[in-house]
Amino acid sequence: MNMKASSLYNIYLNNKSKLKYIYKHDTKYDKYLHKYLSMHTLVRFIVRICFYLLLFGLSFIFIYPFLDMIVTSLKSTSDLMNITVKWIPNSLMFSNYVVAIEQLQYLKYFKNSVFVTTVCIIGHVLSCSFVAYGFSRYKFPFRDSLFSFVIFTLIVPVQVIIFPLYIFYSKLGWVNSYLPIIVPTFFGYGLKGGLFIFLFRQFFAGLPYELEEAARVDGCRPLRTFFTIILPVSKSAILVSIVLSMVWHWNDYFEPNIYIAEKNMHLLPSRLPALYNMLNTDDILNPEMDLIINEAIVLAATFLVVLPILIVYSLVQNKFMEGIERSGLTGQ
Amino acid sequence: MKIKLSMKQKQNLEAIMFISPWIIGTLVFFMNPLIQSIRLSFSKIVKLNGFVMQWNGWANYEKAFLWDVNFLPMFLSSVKDTLINTPLTLIFSLFIAILVNKPSKMRGFFRTVFFLPVLLGTGFVMKQLLGLGMGVDAMSVAKGIIVPDSLAKYFGFGLLGVISSFLSRITIVLWKSGVQIVLFLAGLQGISSSLYEAAHCDGATEWEMFWKITLPMISPVILLNFIYTIIDSFTDANNPIVDYILKASFQKNQFEYGAAMGWVYFIFVFVLCMLAFFVMRNRVYTGTGK
Repeated sequence: MNMKASSLYNIYLNNKSKLKYIYKHDTKYDKYLHKYLSMHTLVRFIVRICFYLLLFGLSFIFIYPFLDMIVTSLKSTSDLMNITVKWIPNSLMFSNYVVAIEQLQYLKYFKNSVFVTTVCIIGHVLSCSFVAYGFSRYKFPFRDSLFSFVIFTLIVPVQVIIFPLYIFYSKLGWVNSYLPIIVPTFFGYGLKGGLFIFLFRQFFAGLPYELEEAARVDGCRPLRTFFTIILPVSKSAILVSIVLSMVWHWNDYFEPNIYIAEKNMHLLPSRLPALYNMLNTDDILNPEMDLIINEAIVLAATFLVVLPILIVYSLVQNKFMEGIERSGLTGQ
Repeated sequence: MKIKLSMKQKQNLEAIMFISPWIIGTLVFFMNPLIQSIRLSFSKIVKLNGFVMQWNGWANYEKAFLWDVNFLPMFLSSVKDTLINTPLTLIFSLFIAILVNKPSKMRGFFRTVFFLPVLLGTGFVMKQLLGLGMGVDAMSVAKGIIVPDSLAKYFGFGLLGVISSFLSRITIVLWKSGVQIVLFLAGLQGISSSLYEAAHCDGATEWEMFWKITLPMISPVILLNFIYTIIDSFTDANNPIVDYILKASFQKNQFEYGAAMGWVYFIFVFVLCMLAFFVMRNRVYTGTGK
């Protein structure tokens, strides 16, 4: 044998025992193979499937009205009448949205809603963080009982105090303007204002005292400390407040309805009931009306009302969730 | 003459400066209407133009309980609803939060989906989305979703009624639990995983870990969610008793009666919240858990 063949033969001889592990079936590695396909893994696989099924099932319940709204708003009249068409319309009628925009007078009321919501957000963020700073970083007498009072203001339903509030505002002449909605937010009140004070206070309680001590040593007065040091640090809490305040103020239907009588100053959600009422009256059958409002158009209008919120939320969604975790709202 | 203040007094002054907007707001926007409302519930409006009030004693409250046929049954059904829905909301949102917290592929998607009902807004939008309109109850619409009619035929009448009302109640509860799920998620993520690892080393099962680690560590969140669930039920447009109070106040011009009913409802809610505080006060874990 030449050298090459003999070295090959040596290699074969050296590795002959290892070859057994490749070609023989019953080796010591086989019991791991059996375990791989055992009941244990099978059960875990089934549990995993059930877990995903459960999540998808629950999310179906959550997403059902939303999907229903989108799908129905794209149906044409014949699709609406057709009982067999439930989830997939035969034709996509985007013109429903055009009609809805016209009917809602979208641009005009959109501007109103944007204005009110923005000012209210600014009011909430500024005033609630300001007040919460006092509650969290200073120990003064009656601090705890005053803070429980903040929570108490949340519990009182607004319907109990709405009527005296209305009389008060009418004496001031603020009725028929946006002031009754906007001004309380700059004082820590407004829609669920106490919740924002609570949120900021939990967040500030988690900040180290070194921040203020360092500022104090450098000669910074408390007001300036608040605006230049604490506020930039609390970006996540501010983001959470912005999102929550925006959602609640944009969709608010109760307070603007009570305070604003003049039609030009209405907000966007207040226009929806008018549309729905048109749906329920007999005017539909009136041949003189050149426009037939059907369910699809009304749902398209609803979707358009919530669309800005959806867009903004999808943009900030990640930061928002992180913000809630980091804000210390939950006490950790 | 310069006033010499000690450090402590200076700090107290600073604190009061910071909370002064809230004090002003409380006096103007809260205490004033609150006291007026109490006065109103005990009086009768004599002249509508100047809102002149005349002391009437307990007459409004008597009217609410003894004279009005609608108030008491509605109030009791509202009490029953609150007592059933609130624990259900807490349990389900905790369950969903635990599910979403586990590592899975589409976590971001699920987090968004479960928050969706909050974005869609107040009960009015939801109500119209389901085509509720005026007399139809939310529960009957939810019935059509969970148990499709073709399946329902096979169940028989009595069993179907129980199951569908149960399932529709759960559906409504789920729709209202968006914010609670997010709060529970945050609370769950604040629990450090070293606790779970230590328990696993000591041989605890998942069930034991839930009761001994998860629940105590998120007890402050449970309290917060409890309060939030109760206050959220006021702004729900489906709430029949709130609707009735508003109708009585603004449509029928019986403002004092509306105020009295509102206060009765508020007392109930307040008692419930106080109960929650006192029950949970000694069991809330206030450490950092780190």
